[in-house]
Amino acid sequence: MSHEHRHEHGGTPQRPLTETELRVRALESLLTEKGLVDPKALDALIDTYETKVGPRNGARVVARAWVDPAYKARLLNDATAAIAELGYTGRQGEEMVVLENTPTVHNMVVCTLCSCYPWPVLGLPPVWYKSPPYRSRAVLDPRGVLGEFGVALPDGVEVRVWDSTSEVRYLVLPERPPGTEGMSEGELAALVTRDSMIGVARVAPPVRPAAGTPA
Amino acid sequence: MNGVHDLGGMHGLGPIVREENEPVFHAEWERRAFAITMAAGFLGEWNIDMSRHSRELMPPAEYLATSYYEHWLWGLEHLLVEKGLLTKEEIEARVAELRKGAVR
Amino acid sequence: MRVLRAQDVGKVLLKGGPARVNEPVSPRFRPGDRVHTRTINPTGHTRLPRYARGRRGVVDRDWGVFIFPDSSAAGRGAKPQHLYSVRFEARDLWGPAASARDAIYLDLWDDYLDPVEVGGSAAAPPDTPHR
Repeated sequence: MSHEHRHEHGGTPQRPLTETELRVRALESLLTEKGLVDPKALDALIDTYETKVGPRNGARVVARAWVDPAYKARLLNDATAAIAELGYTGRQGEEMVVLENTPTVHNMVVCTLCSCYPWPVLGLPPVWYKSPPYRSRAVLDPRGVLGEFGVALPDGVEVRVWDSTSEVRYLVLPERPPGTEGMSEGELAALVTRDSMIGVARVAPPVRPAAGTPA
Repeated sequence: MNGVHDLGGMHGLGPIVREENEPVFHAEWERRAFAITMAAGFLGEWNIDMSRHSRELMPPAEYLATSYYEHWLWGLEHLLVEKGLLTKEEIEARVAELRKGAVR
Repeated sequence: MRVLRAQDVGKVLLKGGPARVNEPVSPRFRPGDRVHTRTINPTGHTRLPRYARGRRGVVDRDWGVFIFPDSSAAGRGAKPQHLYSVRFEARDLWGPAASARDAIYLDLWDDYLDPVEVGGSAAAPPDTPHR
Protein backbone atom coordinates (compact mmCIF):
# COMPACT_ATOMS: atom_id res chain seq x y z
CA MET A 1 0.00 0.00 0.00
CA SER A 2 1.40 3.36 -0.97
CA HIS A 3 2.09 6.21 1.41
CA GLU A 4 -0.48 8.39 -0.36
CA HIS A 5 -3.33 6.01 0.43
CA ARG A 6 -2.60 6.28 4.12
CA HIS A 7 -3.02 10.05 4.03
CA GLU A 8 -6.54 9.65 2.77
CA HIS A 9 -7.62 7.55 5.71
CA GLY A 10 -9.94 9.32 8.08
CA GLY A 11 -8.64 12.81 8.87
CA THR A 12 -8.55 15.94 6.78
CA PRO A 13 -6.97 15.29 3.41
CA GLN A 14 -4.02 17.31 2.16
CA ARG A 15 -5.85 18.47 -0.99
CA PRO A 16 -9.43 19.26 -1.94
CA LEU A 17 -11.57 16.19 -2.49
CA THR A 18 -12.26 15.24 -6.09
CA GLU A 19 -15.86 15.16 -7.32
CA THR A 20 -15.78 11.37 -7.13
CA GLU A 21 -14.45 11.37 -3.57
CA LEU A 22 -17.15 13.84 -2.56
CA ARG A 23 -19.88 11.65 -4.01
CA VAL A 24 -18.57 8.50 -2.33
CA ARG A 25 -18.47 10.32 1.01
CA ALA A 26 -21.92 11.75 0.45
CA LEU A 27 -23.43 8.34 -0.23
CA GLU A 28 -21.57 6.63 2.59
CA SER A 29 -22.53 9.27 5.14
CA LEU A 30 -26.20 9.32 4.08
CA LEU A 31 -26.49 5.54 4.03
CA THR A 32 -24.85 5.29 7.43
CA GLU A 33 -27.08 7.96 8.99
CA LYS A 34 -30.18 6.20 7.71
CA GLY A 35 -28.97 2.93 9.16
CA LEU A 36 -28.81 1.27 5.75
CA VAL A 37 -25.16 0.35 6.04
CA ASP A 38 -23.14 -0.63 9.07
CA PRO A 39 -19.71 1.08 8.96
CA LYS A 40 -18.12 -1.96 10.58
CA ALA A 41 -19.54 -4.15 7.83
CA LEU A 42 -17.91 -1.87 5.27
CA ASP A 43 -14.55 -2.34 6.95
CA ALA A 44 -15.08 -6.11 7.04
CA LEU A 45 -15.93 -6.20 3.32
CA ILE A 46 -12.82 -4.22 2.44
CA ASP A 47 -10.61 -6.32 4.69
CA THR A 48 -11.94 -9.55 3.16
CA TYR A 49 -11.02 -8.64 -0.39
CA GLU A 50 -7.86 -6.75 0.49
CA THR A 51 -6.28 -9.34 2.77
CA LYS A 52 -8.14 -12.66 2.80
CA VAL A 53 -9.26 -13.47 -0.75
CA GLY A 54 -6.86 -13.37 -3.67
CA PRO A 55 -4.98 -15.34 -6.31
CA ARG A 56 -3.07 -17.34 -3.70
CA ASN A 57 -6.32 -19.27 -3.26
CA GLY A 58 -6.45 -20.19 -6.93
CA ALA A 59 -2.75 -21.05 -6.90
CA ARG A 60 -3.42 -23.63 -4.17
CA VAL A 61 -6.15 -25.17 -6.32
CA VAL A 62 -3.80 -25.37 -9.31
CA ALA A 63 -0.91 -26.84 -7.31
CA ARG A 64 -3.19 -29.46 -5.78
CA ALA A 65 -4.41 -30.45 -9.24
CA TRP A 66 -0.81 -30.76 -10.44
CA VAL A 67 0.22 -33.16 -7.68
CA ASP A 68 -3.01 -35.08 -7.13
CA PRO A 69 -4.57 -36.71 -10.21
CA ALA A 70 -7.73 -37.68 -8.33
CA TYR A 71 -8.21 -34.06 -7.23
CA LYS A 72 -7.60 -32.87 -10.77
CA ALA A 73 -10.27 -35.26 -12.06
CA ARG A 74 -12.76 -33.94 -9.48
CA LEU A 75 -11.80 -30.36 -10.35
CA LEU A 76 -12.46 -30.82 -14.05
CA ASN A 77 -15.67 -32.72 -13.37
CA ASP A 78 -17.20 -30.46 -10.69
CA ALA A 79 -15.01 -27.44 -10.04
CA THR A 80 -17.37 -25.79 -7.54
CA ALA A 81 -17.25 -28.83 -5.24
CA ALA A 82 -13.53 -29.50 -5.70
CA ILE A 83 -12.63 -25.86 -4.97
CA ALA A 84 -14.92 -25.93 -1.94
CA GLU A 85 -12.81 -28.83 -0.60
CA LEU A 86 -10.09 -26.22 -0.06
CA GLY A 87 -12.55 -23.86 1.59
CA TYR A 88 -13.10 -21.43 -1.27
CA THR A 89 -16.79 -20.80 -1.89
CA GLY A 90 -19.36 -18.10 -2.27
CA ARG A 91 -19.87 -14.78 -3.91
CA GLN A 92 -18.89 -14.69 -7.58
CA GLY A 93 -17.74 -18.30 -7.39
CA GLU A 94 -21.09 -20.04 -6.98
CA GLU A 95 -20.74 -21.88 -10.30
CA MET A 96 -17.10 -22.65 -10.99
CA VAL A 97 -15.72 -24.27 -14.12
CA VAL A 98 -12.05 -25.15 -14.59
CA LEU A 99 -10.51 -25.10 -18.08
CA GLU A 100 -7.38 -27.15 -18.60
CA ASN A 101 -4.60 -25.79 -20.78
CA THR A 102 -2.70 -28.45 -22.69
CA PRO A 103 0.00 -28.47 -25.38
CA THR A 104 -2.79 -28.27 -27.99
CA VAL A 105 -5.52 -26.14 -26.34
CA HIS A 106 -5.04 -22.73 -24.72
CA ASN A 107 -7.96 -21.24 -22.78
CA MET A 108 -8.30 -17.60 -21.80
CA VAL A 109 -11.10 -15.79 -19.98
CA VAL A 110 -12.73 -12.39 -20.48
CA CYS A 111 -15.95 -10.60 -19.62
CA THR A 112 -16.74 -8.35 -22.57
CA LEU A 113 -19.93 -6.95 -20.99
CA CYS A 114 -18.67 -6.08 -17.51
CA SER A 115 -16.06 -7.61 -15.23
CA CYS A 116 -17.16 -11.12 -14.22
CA TYR A 117 -14.30 -12.88 -12.46
CA PRO A 118 -14.00 -15.78 -9.99
CA TRP A 119 -13.61 -13.83 -6.73
CA PRO A 120 -13.17 -16.71 -4.24
CA VAL A 121 -10.12 -18.06 -6.07
CA LEU A 122 -8.63 -14.93 -7.69
CA GLY A 123 -9.92 -12.05 -5.57
CA LEU A 124 -11.06 -8.84 -7.24
CA PRO A 125 -9.95 -8.40 -10.86
CA PRO A 126 -7.00 -6.23 -11.90
CA VAL A 127 -7.69 -2.97 -13.71
CA TRP A 128 -6.58 -4.28 -17.11
CA TYR A 129 -9.11 -7.14 -16.96
CA LYS A 130 -11.95 -4.64 -16.46
CA SER A 131 -10.63 -2.18 -19.03
CA PRO A 132 -12.04 -1.51 -22.52
CA PRO A 133 -8.81 -2.51 -24.33
CA TYR A 134 -8.85 -6.07 -22.95
CA ARG A 135 -12.62 -6.52 -23.08
CA SER A 136 -12.84 -5.35 -26.69
CA ARG A 137 -9.95 -7.31 -28.17
CA ALA A 138 -9.77 -10.57 -26.20
CA VAL A 139 -12.59 -12.04 -28.29
CA LEU A 140 -11.64 -10.39 -31.60
CA ASP A 141 -7.90 -10.94 -31.58
CA PRO A 142 -6.96 -13.34 -28.79
CA ARG A 143 -3.56 -14.16 -30.29
CA GLY A 144 -2.72 -10.48 -30.55
CA VAL A 145 -3.75 -9.95 -26.94
CA LEU A 146 -1.72 -12.97 -25.82
CA GLY A 147 1.24 -11.50 -27.72
CA GLU A 148 0.91 -8.29 -25.68
CA PHE A 149 1.16 -10.46 -22.58
CA GLY A 150 4.26 -12.14 -23.99
CA VAL A 151 2.60 -15.43 -24.88
CA ALA A 152 3.33 -16.63 -28.43
CA LEU A 153 1.35 -19.69 -29.42
CA PRO A 154 2.17 -21.91 -32.41
CA ASP A 155 -0.51 -21.94 -35.11
CA GLY A 156 -1.23 -25.57 -34.23
CA VAL A 157 -2.55 -24.63 -30.78
CA GLU A 158 -6.29 -24.00 -30.56
CA VAL A 159 -7.19 -20.85 -28.63
CA ARG A 160 -10.49 -20.93 -26.76
CA VAL A 161 -11.76 -17.63 -25.42
CA TRP A 162 -14.44 -17.84 -22.74
CA ASP A 163 -16.67 -14.75 -22.54
CA SER A 164 -18.22 -14.77 -19.05
CA THR A 165 -21.74 -13.81 -20.03
CA SER A 166 -23.50 -15.72 -17.20
CA GLU A 167 -22.90 -16.46 -13.51
CA VAL A 168 -20.57 -19.33 -14.47
CA ARG A 169 -17.04 -18.36 -13.43
CA TYR A 170 -13.96 -19.74 -15.16
CA LEU A 171 -10.55 -20.62 -13.75
CA VAL A 172 -7.79 -21.72 -16.11
CA LEU A 173 -5.66 -24.66 -15.01
CA PRO A 174 -2.30 -23.75 -16.56
CA GLU A 175 0.24 -26.31 -17.72
CA ARG A 176 2.73 -27.42 -15.11
CA PRO A 177 6.10 -26.07 -16.20
CA PRO A 178 9.08 -28.33 -16.82
CA GLY A 179 11.75 -28.58 -14.14
CA THR A 180 9.27 -28.79 -11.28
CA GLU A 181 9.26 -32.55 -10.82
CA GLY A 182 10.72 -32.57 -7.33
CA MET A 183 8.75 -29.64 -6.00
CA SER A 184 6.24 -29.73 -3.17
CA GLU A 185 2.67 -28.56 -3.48
CA GLY A 186 3.54 -25.37 -1.62
CA GLU A 187 6.53 -24.65 -3.83
CA LEU A 188 4.41 -25.22 -6.90
CA ALA A 189 1.68 -22.90 -5.65
CA ALA A 190 4.28 -20.16 -5.29
CA LEU A 191 5.00 -20.41 -9.02
CA VAL A 192 1.39 -19.96 -10.11
CA THR A 193 0.50 -16.42 -11.13
CA ARG A 194 -2.88 -14.71 -11.32
CA ASP A 195 -2.46 -14.10 -15.05
CA SER A 196 -1.80 -17.80 -15.73
CA MET A 197 -5.18 -18.60 -14.15
CA ILE A 198 -6.92 -16.03 -16.39
CA GLY A 199 -5.14 -17.66 -19.33
CA VAL A 200 -3.03 -14.72 -20.47
CA ALA A 201 0.27 -16.14 -19.23
CA ARG A 202 2.09 -19.42 -18.85
CA VAL A 203 3.55 -20.52 -15.56
CA ALA A 204 7.28 -19.93 -15.84
CA PRO A 205 9.67 -22.67 -14.79
CA PRO A 206 11.49 -22.04 -11.50
CA VAL A 207 14.46 -19.71 -11.81
CA ARG A 208 16.70 -22.11 -9.92
CA PRO A 209 16.42 -25.88 -9.98
CA ALA A 210 14.21 -27.20 -7.21
CA ALA A 211 15.86 -28.92 -4.28
CA GLY A 212 16.83 -32.44 -5.21
CA THR A 213 16.90 -31.74 -8.93
CA PRO A 214 20.25 -32.75 -10.41
CA ALA A 215 22.22 -29.75 -11.61
CA MET B 1 -29.24 -2.58 -24.48
CA ASN B 2 -26.84 -1.60 -27.23
CA GLY B 3 -24.59 0.28 -24.87
CA VAL B 4 -20.92 1.10 -24.90
CA HIS B 5 -20.40 -1.51 -22.15
CA ASP B 6 -20.86 -4.14 -24.89
CA LEU B 7 -17.24 -3.86 -25.93
CA GLY B 8 -16.47 -7.18 -27.60
CA GLY B 9 -14.99 -6.66 -31.04
CA MET B 10 -14.32 -2.90 -30.88
CA HIS B 11 -11.12 -1.43 -32.25
CA GLY B 12 -9.15 1.61 -31.19
CA LEU B 13 -9.42 1.42 -27.42
CA GLY B 14 -5.66 1.36 -26.94
CA PRO B 15 -3.06 -0.96 -25.50
CA ILE B 16 -3.69 -3.16 -22.48
CA VAL B 17 -2.00 -1.40 -19.60
CA ARG B 18 -0.77 -3.66 -16.83
CA GLU B 19 0.57 -2.72 -13.42
CA GLU B 20 3.23 -4.71 -11.58
CA ASN B 21 2.21 -5.68 -8.04
CA GLU B 22 -1.13 -4.00 -8.48
CA PRO B 23 -2.93 -3.20 -5.21
CA VAL B 24 -6.51 -4.42 -4.76
CA PHE B 25 -7.66 -0.81 -4.44
CA HIS B 26 -5.87 2.26 -5.77
CA ALA B 27 -7.37 4.85 -3.42
CA GLU B 28 -9.42 5.06 -0.26
CA TRP B 29 -12.51 6.17 -2.21
CA GLU B 30 -12.34 2.94 -4.23
CA ARG B 31 -12.44 0.90 -1.02
CA ARG B 32 -15.46 2.83 0.19
CA ALA B 33 -17.24 2.73 -3.19
CA PHE B 34 -16.74 -1.04 -3.36
CA ALA B 35 -17.95 -1.61 0.19
CA ILE B 36 -21.03 0.62 0.12
CA THR B 37 -22.08 -0.95 -3.19
CA MET B 38 -21.72 -4.45 -1.77
CA ALA B 39 -23.43 -3.56 1.52
CA ALA B 40 -26.30 -1.74 -0.21
CA GLY B 41 -26.77 -4.76 -2.48
CA PHE B 42 -27.43 -6.90 0.59
CA LEU B 43 -30.45 -4.73 1.44
CA GLY B 44 -32.27 -6.86 -1.12
CA GLU B 45 -33.86 -3.91 -2.93
CA TRP B 46 -32.30 -4.98 -6.23
CA ASN B 47 -30.59 -8.02 -7.73
CA ILE B 48 -27.25 -8.46 -9.47
CA ASP B 49 -28.81 -8.14 -12.93
CA MET B 50 -30.37 -4.79 -12.01
CA SER B 51 -27.04 -3.78 -10.57
CA ARG B 52 -25.22 -4.57 -13.82
CA HIS B 53 -27.90 -2.80 -15.85
CA SER B 54 -27.62 0.33 -13.70
CA ARG B 55 -23.96 0.67 -14.73
CA GLU B 56 -24.86 0.20 -18.39
CA LEU B 57 -27.12 3.25 -18.16
CA MET B 58 -24.16 5.57 -17.61
CA PRO B 59 -23.83 7.87 -20.66
CA PRO B 60 -21.39 6.26 -23.13
CA ALA B 61 -18.85 9.08 -23.29
CA GLU B 62 -18.75 9.20 -19.49
CA TYR B 63 -18.44 5.42 -19.24
CA LEU B 64 -15.34 5.38 -21.43
CA ALA B 65 -13.80 8.38 -19.67
CA THR B 66 -14.15 7.07 -16.13
CA SER B 67 -12.71 4.24 -14.09
CA TYR B 68 -14.30 1.02 -12.98
CA TYR B 69 -15.38 2.06 -9.48
CA GLU B 70 -16.79 5.28 -10.90
CA HIS B 71 -19.11 3.04 -12.93
CA TRP B 72 -20.07 1.29 -9.69
CA LEU B 73 -20.67 4.59 -7.96
CA TRP B 74 -22.84 5.89 -10.80
CA GLY B 75 -24.87 2.67 -10.82
CA LEU B 76 -25.28 2.69 -7.04
CA GLU B 77 -26.51 6.27 -7.02
CA HIS B 78 -28.97 5.44 -9.79
CA LEU B 79 -30.37 2.45 -7.89
CA LEU B 80 -30.58 4.24 -4.54
CA VAL B 81 -32.61 7.03 -6.13
CA GLU B 82 -34.71 4.68 -8.28
CA LYS B 83 -35.64 2.57 -5.26
CA GLY B 84 -36.36 5.64 -3.16
CA LEU B 85 -33.71 4.98 -0.52
CA LEU B 86 -32.11 8.38 -1.15
CA THR B 87 -33.25 11.37 -3.15
CA LYS B 88 -31.23 13.16 -5.78
CA GLU B 89 -31.69 16.36 -3.76
CA GLU B 90 -30.30 15.01 -0.51
CA ILE B 91 -27.31 13.54 -2.33
CA GLU B 92 -26.54 16.87 -4.04
CA ALA B 93 -27.06 18.75 -0.80
CA ARG B 94 -24.63 16.47 1.01
CA VAL B 95 -22.07 16.76 -1.80
CA ALA B 96 -22.34 20.56 -1.57
CA GLU B 97 -21.88 20.50 2.23
CA LEU B 98 -18.84 18.28 1.93
CA ARG B 99 -17.37 20.48 -0.78
CA LYS B 100 -17.59 23.45 1.58
CA GLY B 101 -15.48 21.48 3.99
CA ALA B 102 -18.16 20.35 6.38
CA VAL B 103 -16.32 17.12 7.09
CA ARG B 104 -18.41 14.27 8.41
CA MET C 1 -34.89 -4.49 4.66
CA ARG C 2 -32.05 -6.45 6.18
CA VAL C 3 -28.92 -4.46 6.89
CA LEU C 4 -25.62 -6.30 6.52
CA ARG C 5 -23.85 -6.47 9.89
CA ALA C 6 -20.11 -6.81 10.33
CA GLN C 7 -20.42 -10.19 12.06
CA ASP C 8 -22.34 -11.60 9.08
CA VAL C 9 -19.97 -10.44 6.34
CA GLY C 10 -17.81 -13.56 6.26
CA LYS C 11 -20.82 -15.86 6.36
CA VAL C 12 -22.79 -14.19 3.55
CA LEU C 13 -19.75 -13.91 1.28
CA LEU C 14 -18.95 -17.62 1.70
CA LYS C 15 -22.58 -18.47 1.01
CA GLY C 16 -22.90 -16.32 -2.12
CA GLY C 17 -26.05 -15.77 -4.13
CA PRO C 18 -26.71 -18.67 -6.45
CA ALA C 19 -28.26 -17.96 -9.86
CA ARG C 20 -28.98 -21.67 -10.38
CA VAL C 21 -32.65 -22.51 -9.99
CA ASN C 22 -33.91 -25.90 -8.87
CA GLU C 23 -36.89 -26.10 -11.16
CA PRO C 24 -37.72 -28.90 -13.60
CA VAL C 25 -37.44 -26.88 -16.81
CA SER C 26 -36.82 -28.92 -19.97
CA PRO C 27 -33.82 -28.03 -22.11
CA ARG C 28 -34.52 -26.99 -25.70
CA PHE C 29 -31.07 -28.13 -26.83
CA ARG C 30 -28.52 -30.86 -26.23
CA PRO C 31 -24.75 -30.77 -26.48
CA GLY C 32 -23.83 -31.09 -30.15
CA ASP C 33 -26.92 -29.25 -31.38
CA ARG C 34 -26.29 -26.52 -33.94
CA VAL C 35 -27.91 -23.27 -32.91
CA HIS C 36 -28.50 -19.83 -34.31
CA THR C 37 -28.45 -16.87 -31.95
CA ARG C 38 -31.37 -14.51 -32.24
CA THR C 39 -31.04 -11.04 -33.66
CA ILE C 40 -32.34 -8.91 -30.83
CA ASN C 41 -31.81 -5.28 -29.84
CA PRO C 42 -33.59 -4.94 -26.51
CA THR C 43 -33.45 -1.56 -24.75
CA GLY C 44 -33.14 -3.34 -21.40
CA HIS C 45 -30.41 -5.55 -19.98
CA THR C 46 -29.21 -8.54 -21.97
CA ARG C 47 -26.23 -10.88 -21.78
CA LEU C 48 -26.18 -11.61 -25.49
CA PRO C 49 -23.39 -9.35 -26.80
CA ARG C 50 -23.83 -7.67 -30.17
CA TYR C 51 -20.92 -9.56 -31.69
CA ALA C 52 -22.70 -12.89 -31.12
CA ARG C 53 -26.18 -11.97 -32.35
CA GLY C 54 -27.46 -13.68 -35.50
CA ARG C 55 -24.55 -16.14 -35.51
CA ARG C 56 -24.23 -19.89 -35.75
CA GLY C 57 -22.67 -22.00 -33.04
CA VAL C 58 -22.77 -25.42 -31.45
CA VAL C 59 -24.00 -26.24 -27.95
CA ASP C 60 -20.99 -27.55 -26.05
CA ARG C 61 -22.41 -28.11 -22.57
CA ASP C 62 -25.69 -27.66 -20.73
CA TRP C 63 -25.05 -25.91 -17.39
CA GLY C 64 -28.58 -26.51 -16.09
CA VAL C 65 -31.39 -24.13 -15.16
CA PHE C 66 -30.56 -20.52 -14.29
CA ILE C 67 -32.22 -17.16 -13.70
CA PHE C 68 -32.66 -15.33 -17.02
CA PRO C 69 -30.95 -11.93 -16.60
CA ASP C 70 -32.98 -10.08 -19.23
CA SER C 71 -36.12 -10.76 -17.23
CA SER C 72 -34.57 -10.47 -13.79
CA ALA C 73 -32.96 -7.09 -14.51
CA ALA C 74 -36.32 -5.69 -15.59
CA GLY C 75 -38.00 -6.85 -12.38
CA ARG C 76 -40.11 -9.34 -14.32
CA GLY C 77 -39.03 -12.40 -12.37
CA ALA C 78 -36.46 -15.14 -12.78
CA LYS C 79 -37.94 -16.81 -15.91
CA PRO C 80 -35.72 -19.84 -15.21
CA GLN C 81 -34.37 -21.67 -18.25
CA HIS C 82 -31.42 -23.73 -19.42
CA LEU C 83 -28.07 -22.07 -19.82
CA TYR C 84 -25.56 -23.54 -22.27
CA SER C 85 -21.95 -23.09 -23.18
CA VAL C 86 -22.10 -22.40 -26.91
CA ARG C 87 -19.02 -22.67 -29.09
CA PHE C 88 -18.57 -20.27 -32.02
CA GLU C 89 -15.77 -20.72 -34.52
CA ALA C 90 -13.74 -17.50 -34.56
CA ARG C 91 -14.31 -17.19 -38.31
CA ASP C 92 -18.07 -17.40 -37.91
CA LEU C 93 -17.91 -14.33 -35.68
CA TRP C 94 -15.09 -12.34 -37.25
CA GLY C 95 -14.64 -13.55 -40.81
CA PRO C 96 -11.73 -15.03 -42.71
CA ALA C 97 -9.04 -12.93 -41.02
CA ALA C 98 -9.58 -14.85 -37.77
CA SER C 99 -7.66 -18.03 -37.02
CA ALA C 100 -9.31 -21.14 -38.45
CA ARG C 101 -8.44 -23.00 -35.26
CA ASP C 102 -9.76 -20.62 -32.63
CA ALA C 103 -13.14 -20.49 -30.96
CA ILE C 104 -15.15 -18.25 -28.65
CA TYR C 105 -17.40 -19.78 -25.99
CA LEU C 106 -20.35 -17.86 -24.57
CA ASP C 107 -22.87 -18.84 -21.91
CA LEU C 108 -26.27 -18.40 -23.51
CA TRP C 109 -29.84 -19.03 -22.36
CA ASP C 110 -32.63 -20.79 -24.24
CA ASP C 111 -34.32 -17.46 -25.04
CA TYR C 112 -31.29 -16.37 -27.07
CA LEU C 113 -31.24 -19.45 -29.28
CA ASP C 114 -33.05 -21.04 -32.21
CA PRO C 115 -32.31 -24.43 -33.70
CA VAL C 116 -30.47 -24.69 -36.99
CA GLU C 117 -32.68 -27.05 -38.95
CA VAL C 118 -31.00 -30.16 -40.28
CA GLY C 119 -29.96 -29.61 -43.90
CA GLY C 120 -31.82 -26.46 -43.28
CA SER C 121 -32.70 -23.06 -44.43
CA ALA C 122 -31.70 -21.49 -41.14
CA ALA C 123 -28.08 -22.36 -41.90
CA ALA C 124 -25.84 -19.93 -43.71
CA PRO C 125 -26.02 -19.96 -47.52
CA PRO C 126 -23.93 -22.75 -49.10
CA ASP C 127 -21.41 -20.30 -50.54
CA THR C 128 -20.48 -18.99 -47.10
CA PRO C 129 -16.89 -20.00 -46.38
CA HIS C 130 -17.02 -22.20 -43.37
CA ARG C 131 -13.95 -23.91 -42.01
